[in-house]
Amino acid sequence: MVFDFFRGGGQSTIEEVEETLVVMMHNARHVYDEAMGAVFGGGKSKETKKDLKKTDKEINVAQQEVRRALVMHASVSPAVDLADTLAYMSVVKDVERVGDYSKNLYDLAKYGADFTTAADFDDLDSYRERVGQLMTDAANVFASRDAEAAQYLIDKADGFLDDYDANVKAAFQSVGPAPDAVARALYFRFLKRITAHVMNLMTALVVPVHRLDYYDEAKEDRVES
Amino acid sequence: MDPIEPVVRQRAAALPGPIRGVLVIGLLYLFLIGVKLLEGGIKGLGSDFTDALFQGVSNPVAGLFVGVLATVLVQSSSVTTATIVGLVGTGVVSVEHAVPMIMGANIGTTVTNTIVSLAHMRHSDEFRRAFTAATMHDFFNLMAVAVLLPLEVFTKVLSDTARSITEAIAGDIGGGRFNSPIKGAVKWGANLVEGLFDWISNEKVTAVIFLILGIALIFLTLTFITKNMRVLVAARIERSLNAALARSGLVGIVVGMLVTVAVQSSSITTSILIPLVASGILAVRNAYPITLGANIGTTVTALIAALGIGEIDGLTIAVTHTIFNTAGILLIYPWSKIRYIPVDLADKLAGLALKRKSLALGYTLTMFVAIPLIGILVLR
Repeated sequence: MVFDFFRGGGQSTIEEVEETLVVMMHNARHVYDEAMGAVFGGGKSKETKKDLKKTDKEINVAQQEVRRALVMHASVSPAVDLADTLAYMSVVKDVERVGDYSKNLYDLAKYGADFTTAADFDDLDSYRERVGQLMTDAANVFASRDAEAAQYLIDKADGFLDDYDANVKAAFQSVGPAPDAVARALYFRFLKRITAHVMNLMTALVVPVHRLDYYDEAKEDRVES
Repeated sequence: MDPIEPVVRQRAAALPGPIRGVLVIGLLYLFLIGVKLLEGGIKGLGSDFTDALFQGVSNPVAGLFVGVLATVLVQSSSVTTATIVGLVGTGVVSVEHAVPMIMGANIGTTVTNTIVSLAHMRHSDEFRRAFTAATMHDFFNLMAVAVLLPLEVFTKVLSDTARSITEAIAGDIGGGRFNSPIKGAVKWGANLVEGLFDWISNEKVTAVIFLILGIALIFLTLTFITKNMRVLVAARIERSLNAALARSGLVGIVVGMLVTVAVQSSSITTSILIPLVASGILAVRNAYPITLGANIGTTVTALIAALGIGEIDGLTIAVTHTIFNTAGILLIYPWSKIRYIPVDLADKLAGLALKRKSLALGYTLTMFVAIPLIGILVLR
């Protein structure tokens, strides 16, 4: 209330936003785990659907909260933390998209996808594991604002992207049943998008504002200036 | 894998809070020396000159226009009111004649957020909200002046109440002076500065130098006080504005008051609100009480200036300023039927300005430059 004015110390808006972004990432990881649980044997359930909807809503509300806080910050202190303000205004969308694509994975189970009987179950599961780990690592790196670790994660994730494309291509050229091919194509497409958005979040720690978002472009098209 | 050179963004190195706090106290001291030098300069010019200079403001409407125009020119009602306190302290301008000027300063200070709102002109919805938020302050101040200026001219109710309060609190130690705790320190500093010009034998020249130096110090110190305080209390401002976002009424008034006292500028407070209203984060009606609170908060500068010079009349005009702004709110805000008249009028004006955007610019120039200028020329 009014007495907040006299309350000293506390976090700055930028610190609060950073904390919210980390919480959003953890929530996105929760959505991811729930959705993957459905795809890898759990199947669709009312409880899972309800939980995903609730967590997704929390992510969306947090996104609006972050934007509102950043506009307030920019209005009160226009010249302070300008780069962070602009960067976070951009990457909050990426974090929200991570949650969204994770939720989309649940749709695969909803439409009948089930990888438990797949011959390459272990392969598919390893992708699930590594993207999940990437999300958690990204949240931790962002929380610690470790630029070196962020760069390491960007490089690591960058190596995954071609892999996803190869899998999407393989699904398209597959002679197996169409539902399985579609499920695989979408699975790898969603994993690629999640990875790319996680990379965008990491770029907020290491690149200038104008270069945010350029990590999911083809290498030869990237702006390196 | 392409090697990517990390470019880590560095956060701006900020001046530590305690150092900034000491800097602000130093600037406040220089501000008071500025007011004292202004007072010395005015006295040094002699009564013939000053009588001729301020003869025109004996007409209350002319005084009002002088207050508007002076504030528009310096873009700060704090500078205008501190200067007026200095003038009243010397006895060159009477409390009676200064009251309309103070009221004019209130109107003039709203030009800043009106100009800020014009920046949103390219986006219709944003502009409508921003222009409404800016001009509701104009309409509120005009309404308050329309009621309280005639009342003051005919009954002196505001200045008499202020004098009673001043004498009750400060007392009169004789010669229209009161015991100010900081007056001695300010006088010492002012004497030190005045001593630098002892080598000038012509008293009028010295007076002009003191006058210019005084006004420059008031202007510069207030500018830097505002800038530093804005940084110093930015987090507090954000916290309290966040608290006021969804609330109306008293909370907003107190928040507006606190923020303005902290940054020593109502223009800063109201200008911060414009982008918030324009972006839809803050509703116009929730910004309204914050704006009114800023009206009260801005009167602190004149009170500080009055403490520095230690003259009963100076303190009386500063208290009159506070009473005027408080009375304006009490007169309009508590009554639901008239509370939002300024907001509704501002919204209507914004609607018209949206259809013809040149109207917004025309309104700003007419209201803040043409009318006061023509008024002064005609009424002097």
